[in-house]
Amino acid sequence: MTILLAVLEDALWSGVAAVGFGVLFNVPRRALAYCALVGACGHAVRTLMMDQFGMGITTATLLGALIVGFMSKFIARKLKMPSMIFGITGAIPMVPGVFAYQTMIGLVDLIHQEPGQIQATLAEAAVNGVQTVALLGCLALGITAPTFLLEREHPVV
Amino acid sequence: MFDPRLNERDIVAVAADHHTHKPELDREALRDVMRLSLWAGQMLLQYGADTNRVEQTIHRLGTGLGADWMDILVTPDAIVATTINNYEFRTKVRRAPSRGVDMTVIAEISELSYQVQDGKIDRFGVGEKLMAIDERPHYNRWTVVLAVGLACAAFNRLFGGDIATFAVTFFASSGAMFARQWLHSVELNTVLNWVITAFVAGIVASLAELLSLSPLSSTALAASVLLLVPGVPLINGSEDFLNGHITNGLARSVWGAILSLAIAMGLSLAITTMGVSGL
Repeated sequence: MTILLAVLEDALWSGVAAVGFGVLFNVPRRALAYCALVGACGHAVRTLMMDQFGMGITTATLLGALIVGFMSKFIARKLKMPSMIFGITGAIPMVPGVFAYQTMIGLVDLIHQEPGQIQATLAEAAVNGVQTVALLGCLALGITAPTFLLEREHPVV
Repeated sequence: MFDPRLNERDIVAVAADHHTHKPELDREALRDVMRLSLWAGQMLLQYGADTNRVEQTIHRLGTGLGADWMDILVTPDAIVATTINNYEFRTKVRRAPSRGVDMTVIAEISELSYQVQDGKIDRFGVGEKLMAIDERPHYNRWTVVLAVGLACAAFNRLFGGDIATFAVTFFASSGAMFARQWLHSVELNTVLNWVITAFVAGIVASLAELLSLSPLSSTALAASVLLLVPGVPLINGSEDFLNGHITNGLARSVWGAILSLAIAMGLSLAITTMGVSGL
């Protein structure tokens, strides 16, 4: 029961985050609720996998992004809108923003570092950087995989 | 080499016979195919579509308006396209520097391209429709400020913040969003805009620690600058990599990294200024 409540709370806040960014991205009004749904499901699945099934953040993000991707395709067909609206807005709660700027803060810190501290700072920045790239790759793969799987056409361009 | 009985016109015909032909377009119609499809492509690229979508939509519009074929080159901030119709072809360059993200534009241009493909709308209709898309409605400025503030506050809860950090994040991010809109309206360089906006968010978010509002004050700092995270360039960049558009993917990813660096600089500056413990 507490697990269910925790997941629901996670879904609620991720949905709010997705809608907020949807407004920033000028998403048409009739699509906003679906953006919230997609963002909530994707992030809640990721949190559930990490907290209850001990999955690493990268694998969990891939799974969450796949949910976002397939849901976006389905909703896009229903509403006759491009799936990237729901895909991108729904993925926003999982974007590794904190990792990205911690990488950069680490690199900036190297400028005025005691000699003994340099290795530790550099290693931390490197780990954060790799984490950022891996999470972004998983997000992109998860969002585009449905297109690769469901719409295999010879390219027209 | 070639048959001496062929005249010049036939040689051109042989050269152009690798594709099927549509009815011949007159000068003006061919010019409009080029102008309209590139205009639509320019808006897509400016407002955050990935490279595949830009290519496919321009192709769908151009062939739907009567071109036999279109060859399209999408670079990070410009599009080059050639229309082919029987023995005529035209090439045009169109600049498309980034203008942020606008999903309404992407939705409407996508829908328009399918209408053109189905022959439901002619070139005059397309011109009018693109003009209308250019003047599309936006969310009210204050709605955006509040929505973004609330979104970052929601992120604060996801990071494990309490009610005090939630409130501080809301005010920090709303204030930062207001600053970002104002700096954008006075045409300040985007990277500088990001540094200053992150600084504003960091200054307000530091109050959580300075006023001892919460033991979890660092979550307010972390969440308050999330409105600046370049999520769309970073995700689109990775998508371009997956689709084989390596140069465009690189350009978008580097742009995302530069904006992340700008956030880090603004936030570090705020942390040093306020003398708080940081992330």
